[in-house]
Amino acid sequence: MNKEDIISSGLLELYALGIASPEEKIQVERGLAEYPELRHELSAIEDSLETYAHAYTKQPPARIKEKIFEEISNEAAKKEPADGNHQPSAQILYRIPAFFKLAAAAMLLLLIGSIALSYLYYNRYKEADEKYNAASDQLQQANEKLKENDEANAAMKHELNLMSDKNALPVVLNGTPQAPDALAKIYWMKNNGDIYIDPTNLPPAPEGKQYQFWAIIDGKPIDGGMIRTENGVYRIQKMKSFGHADAFAITLENSGGGPVPHGKTYAMAKIL
Amino acid sequence: MLSADSQPSKSSIFNFYQLKRRYILIYLEAVKKYSEEELVSLLKNKDQSAFSYLYDNYSPVLLGIIYKMISDRVLAEDVLQEAFVKIWNNFSGYDSAKGRLFTWMLNITRNLTIDTIRSKSFKNQSKIRNDEKAVNNISDKTNAAESFDALGIRKNLTLLKDDQREIIELAYFRGFTQDEISKQLDIPLGTVKTKMRAAIIELRKVLTS
Repeated sequence: MNKEDIISSGLLELYALGIASPEEKIQVERGLAEYPELRHELSAIEDSLETYAHAYTKQPPARIKEKIFEEISNEAAKKEPADGNHQPSAQILYRIPAFFKLAAAAMLLLLIGSIALSYLYYNRYKEADEKYNAASDQLQQANEKLKENDEANAAMKHELNLMSDKNALPVVLNGTPQAPDALAKIYWMKNNGDIYIDPTNLPPAPEGKQYQFWAIIDGKPIDGGMIRTENGVYRIQKMKSFGHADAFAITLENSGGGPVPHGKTYAMAKIL
Repeated sequence: MLSADSQPSKSSIFNFYQLKRRYILIYLEAVKKYSEEELVSLLKNKDQSAFSYLYDNYSPVLLGIIYKMISDRVLAEDVLQEAFVKIWNNFSGYDSAKGRLFTWMLNITRNLTIDTIRSKSFKNQSKIRNDEKAVNNISDKTNAAESFDALGIRKNLTLLKDDQREIIELAYFRGFTQDEISKQLDIPLGTVKTKMRAAIIELRKVLTS
């Protein structure tokens, strides 16, 4: 169909009115593409129809326009994150799935919890350790005391045994005029000559001095040993053994004593 | 005064829209007018101020056509709203080589209106709304007075023969197919085309006189 045929056929009118059939539409559109003049003719028809339509204009209320703009703005806002203009690729790349966020949060919680528990248990351990050390110290002290007591007990038993021994000859060394209050006692074993001395009633020896025990045999003093203190306390102790003696004496000597007495005699006993 | 104070949020929203509209109007005044080509290229780029201009220029005529088909003001306004949203969303589908922008918009609007008429809810509503029609018709007269242009055109249209006006209106405003027109006017299908052409030639004459 040439352009004159199209114009005279009335197809353009049907097309402009929007009631052309699909085949007629194709014919017109093909013609429009081929003949630019057809466009002028179509425009003239459309213009007149548009003018016709203007005979019935009605001003819509303002709210309609507001509603339309609201709707298209909302749609634009909805679409914005989805379209690719605002570097969303970076956002997508670095987006962490909610599950991992949750897992990370849970792990962090567990970590904090375990640190708190560790701290709590460390404190409890420290407390328990201190208590244990204190308790074991006390135990050790108790053990030592027990041992001391045992030793003391053993010594006392020994002393008691001495005193009750049938061979023991008790000899009392009375204080000389030099020391009237001084008193010492010895247990002299008749069977073996062992001598045990109980110096508990001697006055304490001054600093740097020590009592020395003597046996007088044939008018000569023989060293019977130094009387020792145990933590400043006199206990029954074993001296040198003598088979026989005329007398026993105690003198105060410089510490360590000597083979012959130099100091004053504090106590003495004659054996009859 | 009291009632205005009791609804501050509503009035502030209203003011916002008024301000927005005023801004658009000032903007359009500065631009004066878009050519159809400019308007089309702006709308293809989703330019909202161009769309505002399009709405201001074409909403009254499109509403007129919808109302002519539906005769229900509220429903007609709903269809108008729907039509403009569709025009905005589907604008990439418009091809200026295939016709004028108005023709394309009219086709969208007319199809939506026909869909509405055919919908069940419209059939139910139209019964109820018949009573309101009288009221609407009164406001029609006041609306018609809005446009001097419309009055002038209508005066010219009276020069058109009744059967010519009828055939144009059936197609243009009612969306009748050629087949439907042939039945409605009781003329052979083959002559619808020639009668239509004659009517539009006459229309063109009348409008340019």
